[in-house]
Amino acid sequence: MESLCDDPMTRFNSQNIRAAVLNMAYHGATVHVGCAFSIVELLAVLYRSHLRVDPANPKAPERDYLVLSKGHGVMAQYACLHELGWLSKDDLARYFQNGTRLKGLADAHVPGIEASTGSLGHGMSVAAGLALAAQLNKTDQKVYVIVGDGELNEGPIWEAALFASHFKLDNLVVIVDKNGFQAMGSTDEVMALGNIEEKFRAFGFDAVTIDGHDEAAIDGAYGQAKANCNCKPKAIVAITRKGKGVSFMEGDNIWHYTRLNPDTHAAALAEVALTKQGAV
Amino acid sequence: MRNAFSDALVEAAKADPKVVLLTGDHGYALFDAFRKACPAQYINCGVAEQNMVGVAAGLAKAGFRPVVYGLAAFVPIRVLEQIKIDVCYENLPVVLIGDGAGLVYSHLGTSHQTTEDIACTRVIPELTVLSPADRFEMTACMELAFASTSPVYLRMGKSDRGDVHASALDVAPAELRIGALLKVRAGAGRVAMLATGSMVRTALQLCEAGMDAEVWSVPSIKPLSQTQLRAIAARADRLITLEEHSIMGGMGSAVLEALADQAPVRIQRIGSADRFSSSCGTWDYLLQEHQIDLAAVLQKVQAFCQE
Repeated sequence: MESLCDDPMTRFNSQNIRAAVLNMAYHGATVHVGCAFSIVELLAVLYRSHLRVDPANPKAPERDYLVLSKGHGVMAQYACLHELGWLSKDDLARYFQNGTRLKGLADAHVPGIEASTGSLGHGMSVAAGLALAAQLNKTDQKVYVIVGDGELNEGPIWEAALFASHFKLDNLVVIVDKNGFQAMGSTDEVMALGNIEEKFRAFGFDAVTIDGHDEAAIDGAYGQAKANCNCKPKAIVAITRKGKGVSFMEGDNIWHYTRLNPDTHAAALAEVALTKQGAV
Repeated sequence: MRNAFSDALVEAAKADPKVVLLTGDHGYALFDAFRKACPAQYINCGVAEQNMVGVAAGLAKAGFRPVVYGLAAFVPIRVLEQIKIDVCYENLPVVLIGDGAGLVYSHLGTSHQTTEDIACTRVIPELTVLSPADRFEMTACMELAFASTSPVYLRMGKSDRGDVHASALDVAPAELRIGALLKVRAGAGRVAMLATGSMVRTALQLCEAGMDAEVWSVPSIKPLSQTQLRAIAARADRLITLEEHSIMGGMGSAVLEALADQAPVRIQRIGSADRFSSSCGTWDYLLQEHQIDLAAVLQKVQAFCQE
Protein backbone atom coordinates (compact mmCIF):
# COMPACT_ATOMS: atom_id res chain seq x y z
CA MET A 1 0.00 0.00 0.00
CA GLU A 2 1.55 3.21 -1.18
CA SER A 3 0.56 6.76 -0.57
CA LEU A 4 0.88 8.98 -3.57
CA CYS A 5 3.52 11.02 -1.72
CA ASP A 6 6.15 10.56 -4.33
CA ASP A 7 4.10 11.84 -7.17
CA PRO A 8 5.09 15.24 -8.53
CA MET A 9 3.18 18.29 -7.38
CA THR A 10 1.53 18.45 -10.76
CA ARG A 11 -0.78 15.68 -9.62
CA PHE A 12 -4.06 16.77 -8.12
CA ASN A 13 -3.48 20.30 -9.24
CA SER A 14 -6.18 22.49 -7.77
CA GLN A 15 -6.74 24.46 -10.94
CA ASN A 16 -7.17 21.29 -12.97
CA ILE A 17 -9.70 20.09 -10.44
CA ARG A 18 -11.61 23.38 -10.61
CA ALA A 19 -11.61 23.28 -14.41
CA ALA A 20 -12.95 19.73 -14.32
CA VAL A 21 -15.69 20.81 -11.90
CA LEU A 22 -16.65 23.74 -14.12
CA ASN A 23 -16.92 21.47 -17.14
CA MET A 24 -18.97 18.87 -15.28
CA ALA A 25 -21.30 21.49 -13.87
CA TYR A 26 -21.69 23.30 -17.19
CA HIS A 27 -22.23 20.29 -19.43
CA GLY A 28 -24.39 18.58 -16.82
CA ALA A 29 -26.35 21.82 -16.20
CA THR A 30 -26.06 21.27 -12.50
CA VAL A 31 -25.44 23.13 -9.25
CA HIS A 32 -23.19 22.99 -6.15
CA VAL A 33 -20.16 24.56 -7.87
CA GLY A 34 -19.38 26.78 -4.88
CA CYS A 35 -19.65 23.80 -2.51
CA ALA A 36 -17.14 21.81 -4.59
CA PHE A 37 -14.70 24.70 -4.92
CA SER A 38 -14.28 25.26 -1.20
CA ILE A 39 -12.86 21.74 -0.68
CA VAL A 40 -10.53 21.53 -3.70
CA GLU A 41 -7.26 22.06 -1.86
CA LEU A 42 -8.39 19.92 1.08
CA LEU A 43 -8.96 17.03 -1.33
CA ALA A 44 -5.93 17.73 -3.51
CA VAL A 45 -3.43 17.58 -0.64
CA LEU A 46 -5.09 14.52 0.82
CA TYR A 47 -4.99 12.55 -2.42
CA ARG A 48 -1.56 13.80 -3.40
CA SER A 49 0.34 13.31 -0.17
CA HIS A 50 -1.56 11.51 2.58
CA LEU A 51 -4.32 9.11 1.64
CA ARG A 52 -2.86 5.63 1.20
CA VAL A 53 -4.68 3.88 -1.60
CA ASP A 54 -3.93 1.14 -4.09
CA PRO A 55 -4.41 2.68 -7.52
CA ALA A 56 -5.11 -0.81 -8.84
CA ASN A 57 -7.86 -1.54 -6.33
CA PRO A 58 -10.20 1.07 -4.83
CA LYS A 59 -11.43 -1.55 -2.34
CA ALA A 60 -8.00 -2.67 -1.08
CA PRO A 61 -8.73 -3.78 2.50
CA GLU A 62 -5.72 -2.01 3.95
CA ARG A 63 -6.49 1.40 2.39
CA ASP A 64 -7.01 4.64 4.23
CA TYR A 65 -10.58 5.89 4.01
CA LEU A 66 -11.90 9.23 2.87
CA VAL A 67 -15.56 9.87 3.58
CA LEU A 68 -17.01 12.96 1.93
CA SER A 69 -19.82 13.63 4.33
CA LYS A 70 -20.80 16.86 2.60
CA GLY A 71 -21.79 14.82 -0.42
CA HIS A 72 -22.87 17.86 -2.44
CA GLY A 73 -19.20 18.74 -2.97
CA VAL A 74 -18.68 15.50 -4.84
CA MET A 75 -17.75 16.99 -8.22
CA ALA A 76 -14.35 17.94 -6.78
CA GLN A 77 -13.88 14.36 -5.62
CA TYR A 78 -14.91 12.99 -9.02
CA ALA A 79 -12.10 15.05 -10.56
CA CYS A 80 -9.63 13.47 -8.12
CA LEU A 81 -10.97 9.97 -8.73
CA HIS A 82 -10.53 10.53 -12.45
CA GLU A 83 -6.93 11.44 -11.81
CA LEU A 84 -6.51 8.24 -9.81
CA GLY A 85 -7.80 6.35 -12.81
CA TRP A 86 -10.92 5.10 -11.08
CA LEU A 87 -13.27 7.23 -13.18
CA SER A 88 -12.91 7.63 -16.91
CA LYS A 89 -12.86 10.80 -18.94
CA ASP A 90 -16.17 9.67 -20.34
CA ASP A 91 -17.62 9.36 -16.82
CA LEU A 92 -16.84 13.01 -16.20
CA ALA A 93 -17.88 14.17 -19.65
CA ARG A 94 -21.28 12.54 -19.33
CA TYR A 95 -21.92 13.71 -15.76
CA PHE A 96 -25.62 14.07 -14.96
CA GLN A 97 -26.76 12.45 -18.20
CA ASN A 98 -29.43 9.75 -18.30
CA GLY A 99 -28.11 6.29 -17.57
CA THR A 100 -24.74 7.38 -16.19
CA ARG A 101 -23.33 6.42 -12.81
CA LEU A 102 -22.12 9.71 -11.35
CA LYS A 103 -24.90 11.32 -9.37
CA GLY A 104 -25.15 14.78 -7.92
CA LEU A 105 -24.34 13.54 -4.42
CA ALA A 106 -21.66 11.14 -3.19
CA ASP A 107 -22.70 7.54 -3.83
CA ALA A 108 -20.84 4.54 -2.44
CA HIS A 109 -21.46 2.47 -5.56
CA VAL A 110 -18.85 4.66 -7.28
CA PRO A 111 -15.25 3.41 -6.90
CA GLY A 112 -13.43 5.55 -4.36
CA ILE A 113 -16.55 6.88 -2.68
CA GLU A 114 -16.78 5.34 0.77
CA ALA A 115 -20.26 6.40 1.90
CA SER A 116 -23.47 7.57 0.33
CA THR A 117 -23.97 11.05 1.62
CA GLY A 118 -25.88 14.15 0.73
CA SER A 119 -28.36 13.51 3.46
CA LEU A 120 -26.18 15.39 5.91
CA GLY A 121 -24.88 14.09 9.21
CA HIS A 122 -24.24 10.50 8.11
CA GLY A 123 -20.59 10.42 7.09
CA MET A 124 -18.95 11.07 10.41
CA SER A 125 -20.63 8.06 12.04
CA VAL A 126 -19.67 5.77 9.17
CA ALA A 127 -16.13 7.14 9.42
CA ALA A 128 -16.10 6.49 13.16
CA GLY A 129 -17.15 2.88 12.47
CA LEU A 130 -14.31 2.52 9.96
CA ALA A 131 -11.85 4.02 12.44
CA LEU A 132 -13.05 1.68 15.18
CA ALA A 133 -12.69 -1.28 12.80
CA ALA A 134 -9.08 -0.29 12.09
CA GLN A 135 -8.38 -0.13 15.81
CA LEU A 136 -10.04 -3.48 16.49
CA ASN A 137 -8.03 -4.94 13.62
CA LYS A 138 -4.89 -3.27 14.99
CA THR A 139 -4.00 -1.66 11.67
CA ASP A 140 -2.53 1.80 11.16
CA GLN A 141 -5.27 2.87 8.75
CA LYS A 142 -6.40 6.48 8.93
CA VAL A 143 -9.93 7.68 8.31
CA TYR A 144 -10.55 11.17 6.99
CA VAL A 145 -14.02 12.67 6.88
CA ILE A 146 -14.91 16.02 5.34
CA VAL A 147 -17.97 17.69 6.84
CA GLY A 148 -19.48 21.01 5.92
CA ASP A 149 -19.95 23.76 8.47
CA GLY A 150 -23.66 23.87 7.67
CA GLU A 151 -23.68 20.13 8.22
CA LEU A 152 -22.66 20.74 11.83
CA ASN A 153 -26.33 21.66 12.40
CA GLU A 154 -27.05 17.92 12.28
CA GLY A 155 -27.36 16.12 15.63
CA PRO A 156 -25.60 12.88 14.63
CA ILE A 157 -22.39 14.88 14.05
CA TRP A 158 -22.21 15.50 17.75
CA GLU A 159 -23.23 11.94 18.61
CA ALA A 160 -20.30 10.82 16.46
CA ALA A 161 -18.00 13.35 18.13
CA LEU A 162 -18.84 11.96 21.57
CA PHE A 163 -18.35 8.42 20.27
CA ALA A 164 -14.99 9.15 18.59
CA SER A 165 -13.67 10.72 21.74
CA HIS A 166 -15.00 8.04 24.09
CA PHE A 167 -13.53 5.23 21.98
CA LYS A 168 -10.24 7.12 21.58
CA LEU A 169 -10.34 7.08 17.80
CA ASP A 170 -7.07 8.91 17.23
CA ASN A 171 -6.97 7.55 13.69
CA LEU A 172 -10.03 9.64 12.79
CA VAL A 173 -9.44 13.04 11.21
CA VAL A 174 -12.51 15.26 10.90
CA ILE A 175 -12.02 18.08 8.39
CA VAL A 176 -14.55 20.88 8.68
CA ASP A 177 -15.02 22.87 5.46
CA LYS A 178 -15.81 26.18 7.12
CA ASN A 179 -16.90 28.18 4.10
CA GLY A 180 -19.32 30.17 6.19
CA PHE A 181 -22.41 29.39 4.15
CA GLN A 182 -25.17 26.88 3.97
CA ALA A 183 -28.00 26.52 1.50
CA MET A 184 -30.10 29.50 2.53
CA GLY A 185 -27.52 31.93 3.82
CA SER A 186 -24.49 32.43 6.01
CA THR A 187 -24.02 30.03 8.90
CA ASP A 188 -24.23 32.99 11.25
CA GLU A 189 -27.64 33.92 9.90
CA VAL A 190 -29.06 30.42 9.71
CA MET A 191 -27.66 28.63 12.77
CA ALA A 192 -24.71 30.26 14.43
CA LEU A 193 -21.94 27.77 15.16
CA GLY A 194 -19.78 29.73 17.56
CA ASN A 195 -16.18 28.62 17.83
CA ILE A 196 -15.99 25.30 16.00
CA GLU A 197 -12.43 24.53 17.05
CA GLU A 198 -13.35 25.04 20.71
CA LYS A 199 -16.45 22.93 20.33
CA PHE A 200 -14.46 19.96 19.03
CA ARG A 201 -11.84 20.48 21.71
CA ALA A 202 -14.59 20.43 24.31
CA PHE A 203 -15.66 17.07 22.91
CA GLY A 204 -12.16 15.72 23.49
CA PHE A 205 -10.57 16.27 20.08
CA ASP A 206 -7.20 17.69 19.19
CA ALA A 207 -8.40 20.66 17.18
CA VAL A 208 -6.67 23.20 14.97
CA THR A 209 -7.82 25.95 12.61
CA ILE A 210 -6.06 26.51 9.29
CA ASP A 211 -6.44 28.31 5.98
CA GLY A 212 -8.25 25.67 3.91
CA HIS A 213 -6.79 26.90 0.64
CA ASP A 214 -3.16 27.05 1.77
CA GLU A 215 -1.75 23.73 0.62
CA ALA A 216 1.32 23.94 2.84
CA ALA A 217 -0.83 24.58 5.90
CA ILE A 218 -3.17 21.73 4.95
CA ASP A 219 -0.23 19.41 4.42
CA GLY A 220 1.16 20.33 7.83
CA ALA A 221 -2.17 19.80 9.57
CA TYR A 222 -2.72 16.39 7.97
CA GLY A 223 0.81 15.36 8.82
CA GLN A 224 0.38 16.36 12.43
CA ALA A 225 -3.00 14.69 12.72
CA LYS A 226 -1.60 11.43 11.36
CA ALA A 227 1.50 11.46 13.53
CA ASN A 228 -0.14 12.15 16.85
CA CYS A 229 -1.35 8.83 18.24
CA ASN A 230 -2.49 10.29 21.53
CA CYS A 231 -5.85 8.60 21.92
CA LYS A 232 -7.66 11.73 20.74
CA PRO A 233 -9.57 12.11 17.48
CA LYS A 234 -8.47 15.03 15.35
CA ALA A 235 -10.43 18.00 14.03
CA ILE A 236 -9.08 20.36 11.41
CA VAL A 237 -11.23 23.44 10.97
CA ALA A 238 -10.41 24.68 7.49
CA ILE A 239 -11.38 28.28 6.80
CA THR A 240 -12.43 28.28 3.16
CA ARG A 241 -14.23 30.44 0.62
CA LYS A 242 -17.32 29.10 -1.02
CA GLY A 243 -16.67 29.36 -4.76
CA LYS A 244 -12.93 29.75 -4.20
CA GLY A 245 -10.92 30.27 -7.39
CA VAL A 246 -13.41 32.28 -9.44
CA SER A 247 -13.75 35.91 -8.45
CA PHE A 248 -17.46 36.26 -9.18
CA MET A 249 -18.27 33.09 -7.25
CA GLU A 250 -16.15 33.62 -4.16
CA GLY A 251 -18.22 34.30 -1.10
CA ASP A 252 -21.42 34.59 -3.15
CA ASN A 253 -23.86 31.97 -1.96
CA ILE A 254 -25.91 32.02 -5.15
CA TRP A 255 -23.33 29.54 -6.47
CA HIS A 256 -24.77 26.92 -4.17
CA TYR A 257 -27.73 26.66 -6.55
CA THR A 258 -26.86 28.64 -9.70
CA ARG A 259 -26.15 26.89 -12.99
CA LEU A 260 -23.42 28.02 -15.33
CA ASN A 261 -24.35 29.56 -18.69
CA PRO A 262 -21.98 29.80 -21.67
CA ASP A 263 -20.71 33.20 -20.53
CA THR A 264 -20.13 32.38 -16.87
CA HIS A 265 -18.63 29.02 -17.82
CA ALA A 266 -16.14 30.66 -20.19
CA ALA A 267 -15.32 33.45 -17.76
CA ALA A 268 -14.79 31.03 -14.88
CA LEU A 269 -12.60 28.72 -16.96
CA ALA A 270 -10.53 31.69 -18.06
CA GLU A 271 -9.96 32.75 -14.44
CA VAL A 272 -8.98 29.23 -13.44
CA ALA A 273 -6.56 29.04 -16.38
CA LEU A 274 -5.02 32.39 -15.46
CA THR A 275 -4.58 31.24 -11.90
CA LYS A 276 -2.89 28.14 -13.20
CA GLN A 277 -0.37 30.26 -15.05
CA GLY A 278 0.29 32.23 -11.91
CA ALA A 279 -1.14 35.42 -13.40
CA VAL A 280 -3.80 35.88 -10.73
CA MET B 1 -37.39 -16.66 23.55
CA ARG B 2 -35.08 -14.00 24.92
CA ASN B 3 -32.77 -16.72 26.18
CA ALA B 4 -32.75 -18.23 22.71
CA PHE B 5 -31.80 -14.80 21.37
CA SER B 6 -29.00 -14.40 23.89
CA ASP B 7 -27.74 -17.96 23.33
CA ALA B 8 -27.65 -17.50 19.55
CA LEU B 9 -25.83 -14.20 19.93
CA VAL B 10 -23.21 -15.59 22.29
CA GLU B 11 -22.69 -18.64 20.13
CA ALA B 12 -22.22 -16.54 16.99
CA ALA B 13 -19.81 -14.17 18.70
CA LYS B 14 -17.75 -17.01 20.14
CA ALA B 15 -17.53 -18.64 16.73
CA ASP B 16 -16.65 -15.46 14.86
CA PRO B 17 -14.58 -12.66 16.44
CA LYS B 18 -15.92 -10.33 13.76
CA VAL B 19 -19.37 -10.46 15.34
CA VAL B 20 -19.77 -7.32 17.44
CA LEU B 21 -22.79 -6.26 19.46
CA LEU B 22 -23.72 -2.58 19.43
CA THR B 23 -26.33 -1.36 21.86
CA GLY B 24 -27.80 2.04 22.46
CA ASP B 25 -27.40 1.63 26.22
CA HIS B 26 -30.20 -0.93 26.38
CA GLY B 27 -30.37 -4.62 27.22
CA TYR B 28 -29.34 -4.45 30.87
CA ALA B 29 -29.87 -8.10 31.87
CA LEU B 30 -30.24 -9.44 28.37
CA PHE B 31 -26.56 -9.11 27.56
CA ASP B 32 -25.07 -10.41 30.80
CA ALA B 33 -24.03 -13.68 29.17
CA PHE B 34 -22.65 -11.91 26.12
CA ARG B 35 -20.65 -9.42 28.14
CA LYS B 36 -19.21 -12.24 30.20
CA ALA B 37 -18.37 -14.46 27.22
CA CYS B 38 -17.22 -11.84 24.70
CA PRO B 39 -16.48 -8.55 26.48
CA ALA B 40 -14.26 -7.23 23.69
CA GLN B 41 -17.09 -7.65 21.20
CA TYR B 42 -19.57 -5.60 23.24
CA ILE B 43 -19.82 -1.93 22.27
CA ASN B 44 -22.18 0.30 24.19
CA CYS B 45 -22.71 3.26 21.85
CA GLY B 46 -24.57 5.30 24.42
CA VAL B 47 -27.99 6.83 23.92
CA ALA B 48 -27.19 7.84 20.35
CA GLU B 49 -28.91 5.47 17.96
CA GLN B 50 -28.33 7.35 14.72
CA ASN B 51 -24.59 7.32 15.26
CA MET B 52 -24.76 3.67 16.31
CA VAL B 53 -26.21 2.58 12.96
CA GLY B 54 -23.67 4.65 11.03
CA VAL B 55 -20.87 3.11 13.10
CA ALA B 56 -22.30 -0.35 12.38
CA ALA B 57 -22.20 0.44 8.65
CA GLY B 58 -18.56 1.47 8.93
CA LEU B 59 -17.69 -1.68 10.86
CA ALA B 60 -19.51 -3.85 8.33
CA LYS B 61 -17.70 -2.18 5.42
CA ALA B 62 -14.44 -3.12 7.10
CA GLY B 63 -15.44 -6.77 7.47
CA PHE B 64 -17.17 -6.93 10.84
CA ARG B 65 -20.59 -8.50 11.48
CA PRO B 66 -22.39 -5.94 13.63
CA VAL B 67 -25.55 -6.72 15.54
CA VAL B 68 -27.34 -3.50 16.41
CA TYR B 69 -29.70 -3.73 19.33
CA GLY B 70 -32.32 -1.23 20.40
CA LEU B 71 -35.93 -0.96 21.35
CA ALA B 72 -38.01 -1.16 18.18
CA ALA B 73 -39.13 2.42 18.78
CA PHE B 74 -35.52 3.46 18.10
CA VAL B 75 -34.14 0.63 15.95
CA PRO B 76 -35.58 0.74 13.29
CA ILE B 77 -37.95 3.66 13.70
CA ARG B 78 -35.71 6.47 14.90
CA VAL B 79 -32.83 5.40 12.65
CA LEU B 80 -34.75 4.51 9.52
CA GLU B 81 -32.71 6.83 7.31
CA GLN B 82 -29.40 5.43 8.53
CA ILE B 83 -30.72 1.91 7.87
CA LYS B 84 -31.79 2.90 4.38
CA ILE B 85 -28.71 4.84 3.28
CA ASP B 86 -25.77 3.69 5.39
CA VAL B 87 -26.67 -0.01 5.65
CA CYS B 88 -29.12 -1.16 2.99
CA TYR B 89 -28.00 0.88 0.00
CA GLU B 90 -24.65 -0.86 0.26
CA ASN B 91 -26.27 -4.17 1.17
CA LEU B 92 -24.11 -4.51 4.28
CA PRO B 93 -24.51 -7.55 6.54
CA VAL B 94 -25.82 -5.74 9.61
CA VAL B 95 -28.32 -7.46 11.89
CA LEU B 96 -30.78 -5.01 13.41
CA ILE B 97 -32.71 -6.12 16.49
CA GLY B 98 -35.84 -4.20 17.45
CA ASP B 99 -36.89 -5.30 20.92
CA GLY B 100 -40.26 -4.73 22.56
CA ALA B 101 -42.03 -4.29 19.23
CA GLY B 102 -45.78 -3.90 19.22
CA LEU B 103 -47.51 -2.90 22.45
CA VAL B 104 -44.97 -4.49 24.82
CA TYR B 105 -44.17 -1.19 26.52
CA SER B 106 -47.84 -0.72 27.27
CA HIS B 107 -47.34 1.32 30.42
CA LEU B 108 -44.79 3.69 28.89
CA GLY B 109 -46.93 5.14 26.16
CA THR B 110 -46.60 6.12 22.54
CA SER B 111 -42.85 6.84 22.52
CA HIS B 112 -42.00 3.20 23.22
CA GLN B 113 -44.86 1.40 21.47
CA THR B 114 -44.10 0.33 17.92
CA THR B 115 -46.86 -0.68 15.56
CA GLU B 116 -45.29 0.74 12.40
CA ASP B 117 -41.91 -1.00 12.17
CA ILE B 118 -42.88 -3.76 9.72
CA ALA B 119 -44.46 -1.22 7.40
CA CYS B 120 -41.38 0.99 7.52
CA THR B 121 -38.78 -1.73 7.05
CA ARG B 122 -40.31 -4.02 4.47
CA VAL B 123 -40.26 -1.30 1.81
CA ILE B 124 -36.47 -0.87 2.06
CA PRO B 125 -34.66 -2.80 -0.68
CA GLU B 126 -32.14 -5.49 0.40
CA LEU B 127 -33.60 -5.67 3.92
CA THR B 128 -34.96 -8.98 5.20
CA VAL B 129 -37.68 -8.64 7.87
CA LEU B 130 -38.03 -11.43 10.42
CA SER B 131 -40.60 -11.79 13.19
CA PRO B 132 -40.16 -14.96 15.26
CA ALA B 133 -43.02 -16.31 17.36
CA ASP B 134 -41.20 -18.50 19.86
CA ARG B 135 -37.77 -19.69 20.95
CA PHE B 136 -37.50 -22.21 18.13
CA GLU B 137 -38.25 -19.61 15.49
CA MET B 138 -35.88 -17.21 17.23
CA THR B 139 -33.02 -19.71 17.00
CA ALA B 140 -33.75 -20.35 13.33
CA CYS B 141 -34.10 -16.62 12.57
CA MET B 142 -30.81 -15.81 14.27
CA GLU B 143 -29.06 -18.55 12.30
CA LEU B 144 -30.58 -17.14 9.15
CA ALA B 145 -29.51 -13.61 10.07
CA PHE B 146 -25.90 -14.59 10.71
CA ALA B 147 -25.75 -16.69 7.55
CA SER B 148 -27.02 -13.79 5.47
CA THR B 149 -24.70 -11.51 3.53
CA SER B 150 -27.40 -8.83 3.48
CA PRO B 151 -29.01 -6.69 6.18
CA VAL B 152 -31.68 -8.20 8.40
CA TYR B 153 -34.24 -6.61 10.70
CA LEU B 154 -35.36 -8.98 13.43
CA ARG B 155 -38.51 -7.90 15.23
CA MET B 156 -38.63 -9.08 18.82
CA GLY B 157 -42.10 -8.59 20.27
CA LYS B 158 -43.94 -9.98 23.27
CA SER B 159 -41.66 -12.83 24.20
CA ASP B 160 -43.42 -14.74 26.98
CA ARG B 161 -46.34 -16.31 25.12
CA GLY B 162 -44.83 -19.77 25.11
CA ASP B 163 -43.90 -22.12 22.30
CA VAL B 164 -46.00 -22.49 19.21
CA HIS B 165 -43.85 -25.29 17.85
CA ALA B 166 -43.39 -28.60 19.66
CA SER B 167 -39.67 -28.73 18.97
CA ALA B 168 -36.87 -27.18 16.98
CA LEU B 169 -37.94 -26.34 13.44
CA ASP B 170 -37.37 -28.93 10.77
CA VAL B 171 -37.56 -26.40 7.97
CA ALA B 172 -34.46 -26.23 5.78
CA PRO B 173 -32.52 -22.95 6.08
CA ALA B 174 -32.89 -22.53 2.33
CA GLU B 175 -36.68 -22.64 2.72
CA LEU B 176 -36.68 -20.11 5.52
CA ARG B 177 -34.43 -17.90 3.44
CA ILE B 178 -37.09 -17.61 0.78
CA GLY B 179 -39.78 -16.82 3.31
CA ALA B 180 -41.31 -20.16 4.28
CA LEU B 181 -44.55 -20.08 6.23
CA LEU B 182 -44.63 -22.68 8.99
CA LYS B 183 -47.74 -24.71 9.68
CA VAL B 184 -48.48 -24.84 13.40
CA ARG B 185 -51.97 -26.36 13.20
CA ALA B 186 -53.85 -28.36 10.61
CA GLY B 187 -57.44 -27.45 9.84
CA ALA B 188 -60.33 -28.50 7.64
CA GLY B 189 -59.03 -26.20 4.96
CA ARG B 190 -61.80 -23.64 4.48
CA VAL B 191 -60.22 -21.08 6.80
CA ALA B 192 -56.52 -20.32 7.03
CA MET B 193 -54.90 -18.03 9.56
CA LEU B 194 -51.53 -16.43 8.94
CA ALA B 195 -50.04 -14.96 12.09
CA THR B 196 -46.71 -13.53 13.12
CA GLY B 197 -44.89 -12.97 16.41
CA SER B 198 -47.07 -12.82 19.50
CA MET B 199 -50.26 -13.32 17.51
CA VAL B 200 -49.45 -16.89 16.52
CA ARG B 201 -50.40 -17.82 20.07
CA THR B 202 -53.65 -15.88 19.65
CA ALA B 203 -54.42 -17.77 16.45
CA LEU B 204 -53.97 -21.07 18.25
CA GLN B 205 -56.19 -19.84 21.10
CA LEU B 206 -58.89 -19.00 18.57
CA CYS B 207 -58.83 -22.61 17.47
CA GLU B 208 -58.99 -23.79 21.08
CA ALA B 209 -62.03 -21.55 21.41
CA GLY B 210 -63.79 -23.32 18.59
CA MET B 211 -62.48 -21.95 15.30
CA ASP B 212 -61.52 -24.64 12.85
CA ALA B 213 -58.64 -23.20 10.90
CA GLU B 214 -55.29 -24.05 9.47
CA VAL B 215 -52.74 -21.90 11.32
CA TRP B 216 -49.49 -20.75 9.78
CA SER B 217 -46.73 -18.83 11.47
CA VAL B 218 -45.00 -16.19 9.37
CA PRO B 219 -41.47 -15.78 10.75
CA SER B 220 -40.24 -14.11 7.56
CA ILE B 221 -42.33 -11.17 6.46
CA LYS B 222 -39.87 -10.28 3.76
CA PRO B 223 -39.27 -12.31 1.78
CA LEU B 224 -42.57 -14.13 2.01
CA SER B 225 -42.98 -17.30 -0.02
CA GLN B 226 -45.34 -16.38 -2.83
CA THR B 227 -45.67 -20.01 -3.89
CA GLN B 228 -46.79 -21.10 -0.45
CA LEU B 229 -49.13 -18.16 -0.08
CA ARG B 230 -50.82 -18.94 -3.37
CA ALA B 231 -51.18 -22.58 -2.40
CA ILE B 232 -52.71 -21.70 0.95
CA ALA B 233 -55.05 -19.17 -0.64
CA ALA B 234 -56.11 -21.66 -3.30
CA ARG B 235 -57.30 -24.10 -0.62
CA ALA B 236 -59.09 -21.57 1.58
CA ASP B 237 -62.10 -19.40 1.00
CA ARG B 238 -61.41 -17.28 4.07
CA LEU B 239 -57.93 -16.07 4.97
CA ILE B 240 -57.16 -14.18 8.18
CA THR B 241 -53.91 -12.38 9.01
CA LEU B 242 -53.00 -11.56 12.62
CA GLU B 243 -50.19 -9.31 13.84
CA GLU B 244 -49.39 -7.03 16.76
CA HIS B 245 -48.83 -4.18 14.33
CA SER B 246 -50.92 -1.65 12.50
CA ILE B 247 -53.31 -3.19 9.99
CA MET B 248 -51.73 -0.76 7.54
CA GLY B 249 -48.50 -1.80 5.88
CA GLY B 250 -47.67 -4.84 7.95
CA MET B 251 -47.69 -8.58 7.29
CA GLY B 252 -51.37 -8.46 6.37
CA SER B 253 -50.66 -5.87 3.73
CA ALA B 254 -47.81 -8.00 2.38
CA VAL B 255 -50.26 -10.89 2.04
CA LEU B 256 -52.82 -8.67 0.28
CA GLU B 257 -50.18 -7.44 -2.15
CA ALA B 258 -49.08 -10.98 -2.92
CA LEU B 259 -52.54 -12.40 -3.45
CA ALA B 260 -54.61 -9.58 -4.92
CA ASP B 261 -53.77 -10.35 -8.51
CA GLN B 262 -52.47 -13.91 -8.23
CA ALA B 263 -54.94 -15.77 -6.03
CA PRO B 264 -57.79 -13.56 -4.89
CA VAL B 265 -59.50 -14.76 -1.74
CA ARG B 266 -61.52 -13.05 1.01
CA ILE B 267 -58.95 -11.71 3.50
CA GLN B 268 -59.50 -10.25 6.95
CA ARG B 269 -56.64 -8.37 8.56
CA ILE B 270 -56.37 -8.34 12.35
CA GLY B 271 -54.03 -5.74 13.80
CA SER B 272 -54.07 -2.50 15.71
CA ALA B 273 -56.20 0.27 14.24
CA ASP B 274 -54.72 3.37 12.67
CA ARG B 275 -54.47 5.29 15.91
CA PHE B 276 -52.23 5.73 18.95
CA SER B 277 -52.97 4.04 22.27
CA SER B 278 -54.97 6.34 24.47
CA SER B 279 -54.53 4.73 27.88
CA CYS B 280 -51.92 3.38 30.21
CA GLY B 281 -52.26 -0.24 31.21
CA THR B 282 -50.99 -3.78 30.96
CA TRP B 283 -50.22 -5.43 27.63
CA ASP B 284 -53.49 -7.36 27.90
CA TYR B 285 -55.35 -4.16 28.61
CA LEU B 286 -53.92 -2.43 25.53
CA LEU B 287 -54.78 -5.41 23.34
CA GLN B 288 -58.36 -4.86 24.46
CA GLU B 289 -58.13 -1.17 23.74
CA HIS B 290 -56.98 -1.95 20.22
CA GLN B 291 -59.53 -4.75 19.88
CA ILE B 292 -56.91 -7.40 19.26
CA ASP B 293 -57.40 -9.36 22.48
CA LEU B 294 -58.65 -12.92 22.19
CA ALA B 295 -62.34 -12.14 22.82
CA ALA B 296 -62.44 -9.25 20.35
CA VAL B 297 -60.58 -11.17 17.69
CA LEU B 298 -62.81 -14.23 18.13
CA GLN B 299 -65.87 -12.10 17.54
CA LYS B 300 -64.33 -10.51 14.45
CA VAL B 301 -63.15 -13.71 12.83
CA GLN B 302 -66.40 -15.56 13.54
CA ALA B 303 -68.36 -12.76 11.92
CA PHE B 304 -65.99 -12.77 8.95
CA CYS B 305 -66.30 -16.51 8.49
CA GLN B 306 -70.08 -16.37 8.61
CA GLU B 307 -70.38 -13.63 5.99
